[in-house]
Amino acid sequence: MVQINFAQKQINAKIVYYGPGMSGKTTNLEVVHKRAPDTNRGELTSISTDGDRTLFFDYMPLDLGTIAGMKTSFQMYTVPGQVYYNSTRKLVLQGVDGIIFVADSSPGAMEANLESLRNLEENLNEYGKSLATMPHVVQFNKRDINGAMTVEEMNAQLNPHGVPTFEGVAATGQGVFPTLKGLASLVLKHIQSECGGGRPQPAAAASPAADAPAPKSEAKPAPSPAPAASGTGLELDDARAPRPTAPTTASTPEPVAHAQAQAQAPAPAQAAAPRPAPAPAPATAQAESTYAPAGTSAAQLMRQRSATAGARRARGDAQPQAGATRARRAAPRQAAERAPAPAKASALKGNLFVVGAAVLGAGAAAAILKFI
Amino acid sequence: MKDSKLRSDRLEFYTEDMERLHTELDSFLELSKARAALLIDRDGHLVTRRGDAVHTSPESISALVAGSFAATKEMARLLGETEFTVMFHQGKRDSIQLQLVGERTLLAIMFDDRTNLGLVRFYAQETALRLQDVFESIVGRRHGEELASNFSDVGEAALDELF
Repeated sequence: MVQINFAQKQINAKIVYYGPGMSGKTTNLEVVHKRAPDTNRGELTSISTDGDRTLFFDYMPLDLGTIAGMKTSFQMYTVPGQVYYNSTRKLVLQGVDGIIFVADSSPGAMEANLESLRNLEENLNEYGKSLATMPHVVQFNKRDINGAMTVEEMNAQLNPHGVPTFEGVAATGQGVFPTLKGLASLVLKHIQSECGGGRPQPAAAASPAADAPAPKSEAKPAPSPAPAASGTGLELDDARAPRPTAPTTASTPEPVAHAQAQAQAPAPAQAAAPRPAPAPAPATAQAESTYAPAGTSAAQLMRQRSATAGARRARGDAQPQAGATRARRAAPRQAAERAPAPAKASALKGNLFVVGAAVLGAGAAAAILKFI
Repeated sequence: MKDSKLRSDRLEFYTEDMERLHTELDSFLELSKARAALLIDRDGHLVTRRGDAVHTSPESISALVAGSFAATKEMARLLGETEFTVMFHQGKRDSIQLQLVGERTLLAIMFDDRTNLGLVRFYAQETALRLQDVFESIVGRRHGEELASNFSDVGEAALDELF
């Protein structure tokens, strides 16, 4: 869910690369990480197996710069594609604002693509969301594979909502940035439609950094091993005007090797609150604070704590979390009827597997400690 | 009902909200002697942080914390627990405690041997309740500031430059 901080003039949105196993989700993100300007991207964090298969997720923050006075960034994730990891996929989808569905063009991969698309819809439904209303695009990856399925066939089966589609060969970087740009545009429009309404702001003061690194040229399409079927090869990924969904207009074609040519005005990597030194005096001296200034004894604080807890009980808020977990699983707002049945056999079957997910959590914890 | 609204509504923060959050976190750090405190949305977004600078990307830490917590929450549910509200990871030098704040946010506390787990937990529990009050007041409030009406148009131009 988009987070907007008017105090810090910041907007954060969550983007997820989804698709069947080995379709190229992680590769897409790696290309973005490799080719985006340093000032616009953060570290790429991967929780993966020894064989470099995504185990929990890959993550990378991408700074889009200042847009209409708001520092806008995308938190970009990939999910594990294997069917086995459905529970962890579901966790990563929580709060998603835009999805890039990476489909595998390899011959024989259609069933896996369809299964992944069905799975995506199911998982979104668990959160009361749906692909029909979620900003998303579809990338037909691995266009360089011999015998790749035709775009028309893939589009017919994998794009029921008529969203923009892009061809790509993520391994060489082709199509990665057009896909991301296509989705970014939809997400920004979605944010606008949900949150906009104020006065127009001047355009972002984004003067291209004069010393921005020259764009890497590996993505140049030159003689790509295009599959014979399409005839126009991979240039289509950019020359093709993306098929618009209702809210979008067809965008003009772009040159392929554009990518990271100009950096935005360097956006600070640290978008969060300022980091002061530990406050010399606690600011809670005023008013109804439970915390007294430093030096108060623990016993006094215990008494204050008891008083606070008593006040909460009187308000009926003593156990704010009590019973909330079950409600949590009931999808919010529009889809209340979608409350899942925890007793499903599939949930029981997933017990062992989700214990495994907790092991993943431990792996994530190890990664956290590595950072600090 | 209040919690479900808190879970489903988008959080928008204004200056006075951030000041209140910072006040609570600063108090907590002063009393607990922890190194740093991060408030993280359950979706993985960093809300704010106070205390010592983290050596590396706080956004990455936020994503990992949210993912880690989400995994253990799901495990708790399937094991019949209401939830696990606290997680603790101990390192050789630094440790981190994750505390659930209501149903929406996580409080990640980093501390070292200048303090101890008991002290951190003692103050964290109270802080979490107070932070919960702040978030509830945020959700219950009428929206004020809005995005500029040309946000997406300007965004398109920015995307053209970036990509």
